[in-house]
Amino acid sequence: MRTGIFFCQVEENNRLNVTAVAKYAANLPNVETVQELGIQPRLDAKDLAGQVHSGNLERIVIAGDMPGYFKPVFTKAMALAGHDPLEVRLASFREHGASGSTTLERAKAIVACAAFGVPFALAVEPAKTPVQPTTLIIGAGIAGIQAALEIADAGKPVCLVERCGTIGGHMAMFDKTFPTLDCSACILTPKMVSVAQHEMIRLLTNSQVIALSGSPGSYRVQIKCKARMVDVDACVACNICSEVCPVEVASEFDAGIARRKAVYIPFPQAVPNAYLVDAENCLYVQSAGKKCGACVKKCPKECIDLTQKDEIIEIEVGNIIIATGYDVLQAENIEHYGYGILPNVLTALEFERLTNASGPTGGKIVAKSLKLNKRTKLEEWVFDANGPAPKSIAIIHCVGSRDQNYNSYCSRVCCMYSLKFAHLVKEKLPGADCYEFYIDMRAFGKGYEEFFERIKHEGTFVIRGRTAAISELNGQMMVTGEDIIQDKLIQFPVDMVLLAVGLIPAHGTEELSRMLGLTRDEDGWFSELNYNGRPTDTEKGCIYVAGMCQSPKDIPDAVAQASAVAAGVLSSISSGKGIGHRGSVTLSEIEARAKNLQAK
Amino acid sequence: MAIRVNPKIIDDLEGYGAEDVQLCYHCGNCSAVCPHADEFNVFPRRPMRYLQMGLERKLETSLEPWLCYYCGQCSDQCPRGAEPGETMMSLRRWLISRYDITGIARLFFKSTKVELAAVIIVALLTGIFFLGFGLWQGDINVYDGSNAFLPSSFIHNFDLALGFLVALFIGLSAFRFWWFSMGGKSAVPIPWWLYIKKVYLLPWHFFTQKRFADCEKETTRRIYLPWLAHLGLMLGYVTMLFIVMVFVKQLQAGPEINWSVHVFGYLASLGLLIGAVYMLRGRLKKNRTQYQRSHGSDWIFLVLLFIIALTGVTQHILHRSGLLLAANIVYIVHLMVVVPWLLRMPFTKWAHMFLRPLGMYFSAVRNEALTRQRSGIETTVPARKVA
Repeated sequence: MRTGIFFCQVEENNRLNVTAVAKYAANLPNVETVQELGIQPRLDAKDLAGQVHSGNLERIVIAGDMPGYFKPVFTKAMALAGHDPLEVRLASFREHGASGSTTLERAKAIVACAAFGVPFALAVEPAKTPVQPTTLIIGAGIAGIQAALEIADAGKPVCLVERCGTIGGHMAMFDKTFPTLDCSACILTPKMVSVAQHEMIRLLTNSQVIALSGSPGSYRVQIKCKARMVDVDACVACNICSEVCPVEVASEFDAGIARRKAVYIPFPQAVPNAYLVDAENCLYVQSAGKKCGACVKKCPKECIDLTQKDEIIEIEVGNIIIATGYDVLQAENIEHYGYGILPNVLTALEFERLTNASGPTGGKIVAKSLKLNKRTKLEEWVFDANGPAPKSIAIIHCVGSRDQNYNSYCSRVCCMYSLKFAHLVKEKLPGADCYEFYIDMRAFGKGYEEFFERIKHEGTFVIRGRTAAISELNGQMMVTGEDIIQDKLIQFPVDMVLLAVGLIPAHGTEELSRMLGLTRDEDGWFSELNYNGRPTDTEKGCIYVAGMCQSPKDIPDAVAQASAVAAGVLSSISSGKGIGHRGSVTLSEIEARAKNLQAK
Repeated sequence: MAIRVNPKIIDDLEGYGAEDVQLCYHCGNCSAVCPHADEFNVFPRRPMRYLQMGLERKLETSLEPWLCYYCGQCSDQCPRGAEPGETMMSLRRWLISRYDITGIARLFFKSTKVELAAVIIVALLTGIFFLGFGLWQGDINVYDGSNAFLPSSFIHNFDLALGFLVALFIGLSAFRFWWFSMGGKSAVPIPWWLYIKKVYLLPWHFFTQKRFADCEKETTRRIYLPWLAHLGLMLGYVTMLFIVMVFVKQLQAGPEINWSVHVFGYLASLGLLIGAVYMLRGRLKKNRTQYQRSHGSDWIFLVLLFIIALTGVTQHILHRSGLLLAANIVYIVHLMVVVPWLLRMPFTKWAHMFLRPLGMYFSAVRNEALTRQRSGIETTVPARKVA
């Protein structure tokens, strides 16, 4: 087939030498013309049709970071010239991961495949490698737990590594799940207990992966197990150590709205159900044994050892699943919402803990009240179970999402959890007014739209329009915005404002991606191999992604993806062969394979 | 009434500077942060919507663009980078060209080259005319009095003729502005006495530009510099225009200084120079949101104004220091810039000096009429049929 290759870029790409790729492309068989059209070229379908006609081109390849951008005009040109418009092929550098050290070789391979008319994914299939039976799962949120249970239930060994002192992740913090309003803990805690009791699962909490070596199918992983300083088997979680501990810090599990001691258990249903010592805040550890040590003396089981040291272990695994999850955006960065300055402006996670029966107020929704801190002698805004109930609550969607100043992407879950909040407010405070400020309601899943309708019928005011600013007036939060549907400006006071903050990749994602040699997309989420066809595989063989760390998704999607990953892992273990490293396939191998496929 | 849609209006407006209107997804952030949006004038989002929908008639009749002083808060906070502030600026340009019946404004805004060419041609013609006239009837070494190179009485009459021409065109534009927004094309019935009741707003907004000062909505309230520069420039300009139109004879007399006139001239020159330098510097450095994207017409406006002020001051100094030949030459240069500047006034950015206070006055009148309409108070004029 007589082929013309056109290089078109949407924006500048300094990492790729396009001219070198063009030179290579000119030497491919059947290539009639290679043109570098530069950045955002002005393309005219008639001109191009003339070129197609004069060169008698039967196939056109558009090469670039986003060649699809230019496809319509080339398709039209082919049609005008009377040739098959379906023979416009895309050589997309970005989609097929021409980045990093192998950029040039990869870009050449992508162009070659397009010129041969062979899908890149088919031509780049790496050789299978023998696989060790053990699977490492990084992150024990709902996705990690689900994948671990699936694999372990199939009789294969799993090593589950979790950074915190307990497994469960963010889902353990939630009160209800949308849209079914199931109790989150009722779904999660049985799974957590199964993990703890499963004979095929080796659970390493308070631990982090620090190094990786080896090749797909037999990776050697170094894991740093931080000193827990409490004997997990002996501890009966009697809470005496916590009672005597003099140190108080903000509780991570309660999203900072409650306080915990330096020796603590994140929440009563934690797995493993044992206390741990926060070495960074423990007086004894920080003073190298000179101060305190009260918990050691009081522990009735004598299971606290504050001299315990971190330990590094090394294991050999066949497959690795990344399920590191997410963090929420720092709402302090968005100045006009006054988070951190105005007392009753809360983030979603904070409200989630406030309304949770295991939270600091026992699930009562209250506004913050001024309390004297006896230790610092300063007045502080705190949640008090006997505090005033808010009479009106505004919920603001898209905080830091869909906003080019923060995250340009949609965080996908905020609309639905905000609707869930509205329901919880109406359920617990029937007299309170609840306002939802949204831009577009993204109720996309099964039963979600119906849930939205239900919220509206419950009497929540749903206002289309983004709130621009929050200020304080007589102790109330003044909300300023525009009601788009009614075409008018609105400003009114509410007692509490909830910010539906967007999601960002969990902290530490960058180091992990560097350690594992994985690519991330421009927003920082792990890149999957192919969004449609291979949503759980990564560029590197035998490493998979599951849950939020790949992109924002809700619990059902995260669980589904975790199970899908487990299927991939199990198939590689039972066949004894796993997918090799894509990056190891050389250009000549891809070329040969593409030629072979074309011949068929 | 049928609604006529012009789907090309967004493309048309691109020539006036608004390029990103299509990006807007209507979150309403811009209207909510705008210090000037009120109950009846919800902007910048509403005009953005009109643009996206192609509602040309609605845009023609809207006063919102004239209420905006372009502080840039909307553009700063826009989540889509749709530049609502720049859109309002472009709409003002578009409206000026709409009010103008000659079509010159449209030509100038659409092509900076055309405007520049027109300025240069008029400048050359002016130069040739005054040089010829001066050499023919006077002595190039005499600045004032009998046998002067450019006699002040002639300049005075010339100024008045030019002023009349400018006033005619700006008057026509102002009338069309009223006709579009308040008169024939408007859907709101407005009692005549409301115009009288609110007429004090016209000089108020013209001379104080109070609303520009309100653009800064910060708790630590210092003087808002763009407002001060804008006010200084504008007051300097108006003062200068006035004394040149009326007292040009006293200005040109010398070499002793007639303080009763000159003190105003000095103050005005100071205002013009400082204002122009502040704005030129801002536009070069792009240090504020409103200076990020400068249209060709903005540059011509500021550069010409700066040259006018500079040559005016220079010829004054040269005259007083006895360098009469040089003074006369600079005078010619000064006139070469002043004449095209004056002639292009009604068709360019300059028109906003009159149209903006007028728009604010109209808006106050219309707002009150709407309030009365809403609260059911009978107006003295029988209500027109509302579309």
